[in-house]
Amino acid sequence: MLVGEILDDLLTSRSTGPCIAATRHFPARPPVVVAFPPTLDPRVQAALRARGIEQLYSHQARCWELVDKGHSVVVVTPTASGKTLCYNLPVLQALLERVDTRVLYLFPTKALAQDQLAELEGLAKNLPELRMFTYDGDTPQDARRAVRARANLVLTNPDMLHSGILPHHTKWAVLFQNLRYVVIDELHAYRGVFGSHLANVIRRLRRLCRHYGSVPQFIMASATIGNPRELAERIVGESVEEVTESGAPTGDKLFVCYNPPVVNPELGIRAPYLGEAAKIATRFLREQVPTIVFAQSRLSTEVLLGAIKGGVADKTGDSGIVRGYRGGYLPNRRRAVEQGLRAGDVLGVVSTNALELGVDIGHLDVSVLAGYPGTIASLWQQAGRAGRRSGFSSAVFVASSAPLDQFMVTHPDYLFGASPEHARINPDNPFILVNHLKCATFELPFEADGRFGELDVRRELAALEDEGLLHRAGARWHWASETYPADHVSLRTVTTDNFLVIDTTARDDKQTKRRQIIAEVDWGSAFATIYPKAIYLVESEPYEVQELHFREDEEKVAYVKRVSVDYFTDAVSAKGVWILRRLVDREHPAYLAEQGEVLVAEKVVGFKKIKMGTLENVGSGEVELPQQEMQTTSAWLSVPATTLARVSPSREELIDGLRAVTYLLHHLAPIFLLCDVRDLGAWLGDTTPAETGVVATRESTRRRLLEAEQFTPTIYLYDSHAGGIGLAERVFEILPQLLRHGLDTLEGCRCAWGCPSCVGPVNEVGRRAKATASTLLGVLTG
Amino acid sequence: MFSRADPGARAGTLEELRRVIRRIEGPRPFRVAPEPPETVLGGQLVETDAGPLLTVRREFPLDHRHGRIALERALAVSADALRVLGRDRAPPDPRRLLFLDTETTGLAGGTGTYAFLVGAGWIEDDRVVVVQHFMRDLDEEPALLAAVAPLLERASALVTFNGSGFDVPLLETRFILGRRRWPAALPHVDLMHPARRVWAARFVDCRLLTLEREVLGHLREQDVAGALIPALYFEFLRRRHPAPLGPVFTHNRYDVLFLVALLGWLGHALGDGEPNLDDGLDLAGVGRLWERADPERAVACYRAALAVGLPAPAAHGVRLRLAAWEKRRARWESACALWQAATAATAFDPRPWEELAKYHEHRARDAVAAQGIVAAALHHAQTAGAPPRVMEAFAYRLARLDRRLARRQPS
Repeated sequence: MLVGEILDDLLTSRSTGPCIAATRHFPARPPVVVAFPPTLDPRVQAALRARGIEQLYSHQARCWELVDKGHSVVVVTPTASGKTLCYNLPVLQALLERVDTRVLYLFPTKALAQDQLAELEGLAKNLPELRMFTYDGDTPQDARRAVRARANLVLTNPDMLHSGILPHHTKWAVLFQNLRYVVIDELHAYRGVFGSHLANVIRRLRRLCRHYGSVPQFIMASATIGNPRELAERIVGESVEEVTESGAPTGDKLFVCYNPPVVNPELGIRAPYLGEAAKIATRFLREQVPTIVFAQSRLSTEVLLGAIKGGVADKTGDSGIVRGYRGGYLPNRRRAVEQGLRAGDVLGVVSTNALELGVDIGHLDVSVLAGYPGTIASLWQQAGRAGRRSGFSSAVFVASSAPLDQFMVTHPDYLFGASPEHARINPDNPFILVNHLKCATFELPFEADGRFGELDVRRELAALEDEGLLHRAGARWHWASETYPADHVSLRTVTTDNFLVIDTTARDDKQTKRRQIIAEVDWGSAFATIYPKAIYLVESEPYEVQELHFREDEEKVAYVKRVSVDYFTDAVSAKGVWILRRLVDREHPAYLAEQGEVLVAEKVVGFKKIKMGTLENVGSGEVELPQQEMQTTSAWLSVPATTLARVSPSREELIDGLRAVTYLLHHLAPIFLLCDVRDLGAWLGDTTPAETGVVATRESTRRRLLEAEQFTPTIYLYDSHAGGIGLAERVFEILPQLLRHGLDTLEGCRCAWGCPSCVGPVNEVGRRAKATASTLLGVLTG
Repeated sequence: MFSRADPGARAGTLEELRRVIRRIEGPRPFRVAPEPPETVLGGQLVETDAGPLLTVRREFPLDHRHGRIALERALAVSADALRVLGRDRAPPDPRRLLFLDTETTGLAGGTGTYAFLVGAGWIEDDRVVVVQHFMRDLDEEPALLAAVAPLLERASALVTFNGSGFDVPLLETRFILGRRRWPAALPHVDLMHPARRVWAARFVDCRLLTLEREVLGHLREQDVAGALIPALYFEFLRRRHPAPLGPVFTHNRYDVLFLVALLGWLGHALGDGEPNLDDGLDLAGVGRLWERADPERAVACYRAALAVGLPAPAAHGVRLRLAAWEKRRARWESACALWQAATAATAFDPRPWEELAKYHEHRARDAVAAQGIVAAALHHAQTAGAPPRVMEAFAYRLARLDRRLARRQPS
């Protein structure tokens, strides 16, 4: 038991033993198996046997049963429990039973569809009846017709279904006439706005199926979240059965919480967590234990990878057995890493949450979580990447010194006891709904009853008619515009406008200069990662950014050159929120609530140089980059001096209390709005800022508030989606309830000075914050 | 109580009811009641099995000219010519061709784009009939499809301009949406493809209007821009004034006549016997059309084109194409003569030089001659400022020939 020995040393040695904040043992569980159902086609049985599968796990059999009875099902079982077989079995059976049966698979990413295609191809080696193809943005134009004609199992993603398949449904008539199953894997990925979009895409899909006379069943798979069944039902718009009991065996597993040692007792400074995580991972890797390390950002992925590679090379002389993996790497690099992990050539991998999703990377023994991943659901998903069906495995959570991490590592009961977050969506959000109504009318005229899913949308259709987009002829609404509406509705907030990172120092075999694309960076994070003079790391190799071309008329490119430096850079950004237009206001006895349009600006103003290994600050620089501005809608509440006077005489205390309330409202509002925390932004500012459009760092904002002559602090809760999708309007409506609910939450929370469940971790908001916040909320709701 | 037996009384009360409703609704701004579209557009309502449909029918005598071309030329198109134009899938009988052009609510494609006006032409006895089926509202699509379907059934093939990329898939989509069978096996002659082969090198573009003007000599007066048509139709749906649609009908009718005339032109050019054209550029273009179906005739066209005379750049291109065919048939003497002539082109082109060098080195096995040609080519290339890639290729070839000759000398 090699893993056990290393762990034993970790838990008891003089250097690391004291850092172990908590452990939790999850005992092995034997498999619960059942024989193949007698109705399972002998050809499928043979295919399973050929893959060494002689029986089914109980959850697979349960899913089979429910699907067989005609239910739509969501399967919620851990990673590597044979979840995919739950949907593949009924699908294979149906495709073998009838030649014209058609099945659609939806994955959140193209890569996952490729993965599943490979798995299916392995399973169906001797089943010529199966004709499966991916159909997505990567499918060449000239191959699309062939896929449409031949495939009886189509693997795609919601975006392609939305813009490439549904609006051209006549080309897919055979599929829609015979659609038997729709499989949605990674259901938990569809929360917030993305999920609300998907639910509407499914409404459109079902509407077309009705037109063609088919009634598909939905089979879904999800990682553990708080409300899988509710999410599934919201997305597919019908009742769904849930399978949650896993019959797959699990080996012994130890979950370890590790808090880096205090290196400066006077200041309470702890050793850098990345270095500690690297040391722990290196220990396992040096003994040839397959290990995955999760980092919380792309930058820390690279920093960790560099440290671990160095440590591993000392012992094995080969640093290539540890690879990096994150968004931004080119697809072929990622495929190579996945393949290497499955084959065992790659022993360890350092990844962002990109590997949290179901990409098949085989089995690993140890998962090191460098930092708290932000949600309980992610925590378990990442921890679940380690673990074989038998034998011992471990997950080690290394806490950073961030307040949230410190709270978690010092409150293991909270960490182990909290239920995973709920995934919230709101398909009836008018902005999202109306966009999909346009697409739906484009696809098929609306009947007089205006039925869309379970909704009656006649009011919305009439509004679209007034806008001249729809035209009513006879009893039906028709699309009456030259445009292709799906092109103007993006399911995800990310833009596709990626920056290419080009290495100008690359040489080919003949040593001739050759520009080489080494990575892609999405628009949203470009300014924080590839600003001029930034060190950009690709698999821990440093490149220095020479030029960044971001102007509208230019190709979006960053030119980099290979350098050899011992530091990396971290961007410093500033932010600001300004009111552009007040639309509604409501005077409350203790505060003024308003709603309107705001400008949210963010800007990277400089960077810190941080030495690799020691992570000390070794310099800094300034950068000249454009401010990224977004116009959106916001609700805000301003607290007048009279109210503040009733709370506390200390402005410092007031600022801490207001920050705490901001945090609390930001985290509570999604529960009312049925959205994700990331769909909302929050900011504590002032209604009369010094200068419009000039951003400030968090610290300087605090300073300004402290020194401001006229102190009218304002809490903004704004829509993270440019232009707004109606969340701010809703916040404005429910603000009194939200404040009351906030007070209840504070009073009900058993923590002494604040925790992530109420006002935020105590070290972030200060010791007095919870009490001040409580008084403040009392006054506001009073 | 209204009596069923007395519809007049009921109609009367209905009218009264309308008056009452109008009074309740309050005074409305004064509006001119639009005239019915069939009157304004000169058509009539015909009854289909899916409801009434506005249809405009026009007939043209066979000697009617669209530009310079008499429509009857389309009747004289040979089976061979149709085969060339339709890529082997066209039928032999021009009398059952259906000339088709649609006006749509947009170019976006997909299921939300309607073909609100379908113009169809065919040859019937001694005239060309052009029928235009029009949806007065979007709910008349079933009637429109019901009217178009029998036309397709009767046809032996479709003739369109860019129909394979646009009109045909769009109609197919409409048919499937309307739950009608689309005749997928119906052969389709999309004249845009042969037109591109013939004229791409000659005109700025190969758009319908360009060809109509340049090839057929037909100039449209006050034609409505295609890009405005969807907006005109939407405006009609909202305001019900049919007059602005008049030009759209004319535009569509011209498009159909264009198809008939263009087919006539191409059929004539592809006619039996010696190429019967007197313009060198036309001959060269038609030669390209024959290349795939009958290389001998392509060669004949190219020779005729050179004989008639061509502007220098076109002549150069034709010489190279012709030489390529002669090379393929191992008629080296003829090929060399063409390449030789091509090396004299005003703008330096490395290709004939290369071909000549290859011929002398590998076929005639005359390294000395090859060396001379390559040296001359390099000289010309230098003077013309050819790209380095071209010079490198010649220099490489020359060096090889030099080495070879040097090896040979001692023995």
